Amino acid sequence: MSKILIGRYVAGDSIVYRMDPRGKLLATILFILFVFLANNPISYIIVTIFSLAAVAATKLKPKIFWDGVKPLIWLILFTSFLQLFFTVGGTVYWRWTIFALSSYGITNAIFIFIRFTVIILISTVMTVTTKPLEIADAIEWLLKPLKIIRVPVDKIALVMSIALRFVPTLFDETFKIMNAQRSRGADFNNGGLITRAKAITPLLVPLFINSLETAIDLSTAMESRGYRGDKGRTKFRVLKWSKVDLLNLGYFILLLGLLLLFRTQ
Amino acid sequence: MATDNIIKIKNVSFSYPESDAPAIDNISFNVKRGSWTSIIGHNGSGKSTIIRLINGLLVPDENGNPSIEVDGIKLTDDTVWEVRNRVGIVFQNPDNQFVGTTVADDVAFGLENRGIPHSEMVKIVPEAIKAVGMSEYTNAEPANLSGGQKQRVAIAGILAIKPKIIVLDEATSMLDPEGRNQILSIVKNMKEKYDLTVISITHDIDEANMADQVLVMNDGKLITQGSTKTVFSQVSLLKNIGLDVPFFEQIKEKLQQNAIKLPDNLDSEKELINYLCQLNSKM
Repeated sequence: MSKILIGRYVAGDSIVYRMDPRGKLLATILFILFVFLANNPISYIIVTIFSLAAVAATKLKPKIFWDGVKPLIWLILFTSFLQLFFTVGGTVYWRWTIFALSSYGITNAIFIFIRFTVIILISTVMTVTTKPLEIADAIEWLLKPLKIIRVPVDKIALVMSIALRFVPTLFDETFKIMNAQRSRGADFNNGGLITRAKAITPLLVPLFINSLETAIDLSTAMESRGYRGDKGRTKFRVLKWSKVDLLNLGYFILLLGLLLLFRTQ
Repeated sequence: MATDNIIKIKNVSFSYPESDAPAIDNISFNVKRGSWTSIIGHNGSGKSTIIRLINGLLVPDENGNPSIEVDGIKLTDDTVWEVRNRVGIVFQNPDNQFVGTTVADDVAFGLENRGIPHSEMVKIVPEAIKAVGMSEYTNAEPANLSGGQKQRVAIAGILAIKPKIIVLDEATSMLDPEGRNQILSIVKNMKEKYDLTVISITHDIDEANMADQVLVMNDGKLITQGSTKTVFSQVSLLKNIGLDVPFFEQIKEKLQQNAIKLPDNLDSEKELINYLCQLNSKM
């Protein structure tokens, strides 16, 4: 679990941390769209510089970002490899049955490699500098227009925040149950696939039952505290736009402008 | 108005659909405004069910023309939210009643439900958190709090909505002794400060002994009620249904078994100590 960086928040303090999560989420989505505008070496250099600057602005150790790229490295290499040997066009340097190494292939492979890496870098910038709760708030804000087509956005938001609040609680619970079962002889780490799958039963069944009981208790508590659906509810947690967010969005608009400028037809 | 009854319960019965025996069997009692009432009884005697009936989480059985009145409001489908505005409950499991992702969010939850504007919430929430001594944890997440701290946050969430009645539904039973004492002293202070009525459901006999009135439940029936003095002096009755008596009553009983004659009017630990000291000097 600790190896997956997506969704992991790393405490820190820099300009990126002070940005509004909505701005960061928007910027991340926009960036992923913008990257596909790049189609020549200059625009790829621009994209790389922009994303490395964003990484630098977090003031976090480079290792954190390497941890973000690492789990996907094989996917990146595999895709680049396919691009390298299956793209035909330009000067062909080498050919063997269906494999061919051409000048187009080489540039395409490099482009794909950069594209993948910068997208992962920017999403990592977003997730490591934003608390899960803030991300949930930002998603709620982005979903708001869906209210028009009667999507229960407020309820979805409550579900998200309760889910996030119970993640650490359920983890604690899981470890407690695991230890309790271990002390009675359960073995979670040995045996083949089927043995291990069977060993999980004494963990999952109590965990499910506990979760359901927690849900019942929680709903009783919520109801007795006056919860009656999203009717007339106000919000305590509010997000505020600040100047830093103009900077953030301006930065990505500038990127868009440069990419359009240098884009070759 | 200081001595009227804030809760009036008359002829209330309740059966859970899946069981034959009623969980609550024709109960009537009153709670005086500003008093502290303890409800004791062994597991499954129907203590928690009473609370769920009072704030409308459960609906009493039809037979016998039941009536529940809280702060002058008769509990019906239309008034249930008004009643819930007046009753704040601290439940048993501190983990399972924490709704917010941080302390401040949780305290604000009740206010959000009531549509209190944001500008007022930012004033009320820190005050309520301060009242339970949790100010330095305002932005802490529940996973980083102890059980006692979570219960203090639950009390803050109740104080924020300014109820008239605060109910402790075995709120201290999952806490260590220190957490328990803290919660009880906070509730005691709040009771004085905001003129609250306290109902505490408990197994802890010392907690029950803090009360003005004690109700004893057994198998869904109210078997005796009265002041702590009258209830806890019925030692044999309590022992028959498997309950403890306060330490002071236990000592009295042991002394009497050892043929030390005690006068009947010893009502507190202090009086007992005084009497024993006198006895000692006479010998």
